[in-house]
Amino acid sequence: MLVSSSASRKGLNVPSYLFLLAPAVIFMLLMYAYPFLASIVRSFLDKSGAFSFENYLKTIDLYTKDIAFTFSVTLFNTACTAVLAILLAVYFRIRQNRITKILSAIYKLPLFIPFVVVAQMMNSFLAPHGLLNVALAQLGLIDLKQPLQLFNFAGLSFGFLWKQVPFAVLIMHGGFQMIDNSYIEAARSAGAGMGKVITRVLIPMNKSSILVSLVLVYSQIVGTFTLPYMLIGGKIPTTITVDIAHRVNYFRDFGVANALGVFSYLLVLLTAWYYLKTKLGETK
Amino acid sequence: MKLNYRPILIKTFELVLLVLSFLIIFGPMTSLLLWSVAQKWYWPHPLPQEISFAYWKQALGIEKSLAIGAVSIIPAFFLSLGIAIVTVIIAMALAIPAGYALAKYKIPFGTFVMFLFLMPNAFPQQPIFVNVLQMFTRLGLAGTVPGVIIVHILVGLVFGVWITSATFRSIPPSMEEAARSVGATASLAFFRITLPLAAPGLLASSVFVFITSLDEFTGTFFVGLPFVQTLPLTLYSSSGYNMQFASVIALILLIPSILFMFLIQRVLKAEYVGGMG
Repeated sequence: MLVSSSASRKGLNVPSYLFLLAPAVIFMLLMYAYPFLASIVRSFLDKSGAFSFENYLKTIDLYTKDIAFTFSVTLFNTACTAVLAILLAVYFRIRQNRITKILSAIYKLPLFIPFVVVAQMMNSFLAPHGLLNVALAQLGLIDLKQPLQLFNFAGLSFGFLWKQVPFAVLIMHGGFQMIDNSYIEAARSAGAGMGKVITRVLIPMNKSSILVSLVLVYSQIVGTFTLPYMLIGGKIPTTITVDIAHRVNYFRDFGVANALGVFSYLLVLLTAWYYLKTKLGETK
Repeated sequence: MKLNYRPILIKTFELVLLVLSFLIIFGPMTSLLLWSVAQKWYWPHPLPQEISFAYWKQALGIEKSLAIGAVSIIPAFFLSLGIAIVTVIIAMALAIPAGYALAKYKIPFGTFVMFLFLMPNAFPQQPIFVNVLQMFTRLGLAGTVPGVIIVHILVGLVFGVWITSATFRSIPPSMEEAARSVGATASLAFFRITLPLAAPGLLASSVFVFITSLDEFTGTFFVGLPFVQTLPLTLYSSSGYNMQFASVIALILLIPSILFMFLIQRVLKAEYVGGMG
């Protein structure tokens, strides 16, 4: 640890780290903390600025279906991500050959593709006459007169999984790599089959990185705007993020937009608590 | 002799997995690629009937034709580039000192500062943009380039601070102490010893902030519309009526992201990447 000697030499009591931290912290207080608190406070104010539950009543009246939709999309995709990502990360841990090398390379690709590009990609790929339906029709699996309608829960999930599974695999993979081979060998020599090794050794030992990756996936899905906006748009049901945009763009109704925002905070309350708790614990 | 089928089964399974992964990952990308060169594509044709680079030429300003309804993306490209450059300079000017302080000093209210920089990862950011829009409308910053830059700094700063503080933490304090012990002042020790050692990490974090700004959509959508048309917003506004043009822009946005992946794969923690776009 450095001692802030330059400041004390001049007889000042202000430690020098304050000068280093102040610009970034002031920026965050003004541009993050203030709008965050404002979003909560304003959700309880009516148009005249008086305290009321009007925004919440309106939100519950109009958007209960969308809140439920957001929650179910999020839960479903987090669960699917958990299963797929754990399987893939375990597979990358226990097998190392030419195929896993190629696979682990191409799995990194979606990670670096921004959501707006993913949204456009899915928009053209999943369209009623898009590449997926055309390809399935060529294989004789579907009739193009009745193409798969994917601008809904299913297509949205495909887009989310496309982007989030690689992300979760990458975090979990790092955790699995840290587990020494000797643990696996010890379990095997004690007579455990590979299945037991995975469920009793590998997954429990990597619990924290599995949980952190899923917590991040969960809160990202709740907060993602681009993909549902470009895939589902104003159709019913849609996600909270799309509703917020409509409320602001078409009605300039910031009250209901903020109430919807508070609902999205409530959806991530548990995961946010877990994330902050682990991360603050790590840096101590 | 009994044949052991297990290895064959596993190999078959692996090959199926490989083919499936290729189809799932490259399928949507292929769709983008096909659309960007599709001059004529009427269903139920599996492939475009006529292929040309007309939309590419149009987008890149090489050709001008009113027939295909696309406009040049050059102005949007330079706007995005300019915003990204200014964002990197300001965000890093804020992030480097803060990251250094978090790494090297024991700060009494450190937990609070950390908390402040972790919050944007834990909670949805869209309500923030909504309230920033209200604030900016009062200040006359809504729909302006400076307003958009401030939002991009907000999005990039968090990652900037985390990556720089991790970088500074990885440099042993003994290096700076050694310089101090032979008479170097604190600032000399920082600029001659710590900064050069931290350079690769700081560069990675700058590139990261740059890409985040280039790809930023949600904040720009709320604060910048309808006057600030960055590349991602141009992509969005054309995706409804001009599939080819939107695909061209999407592919152009892909290039820096993929380059970035090769550039800083090793330095980067997976966690940061998730917040992109």
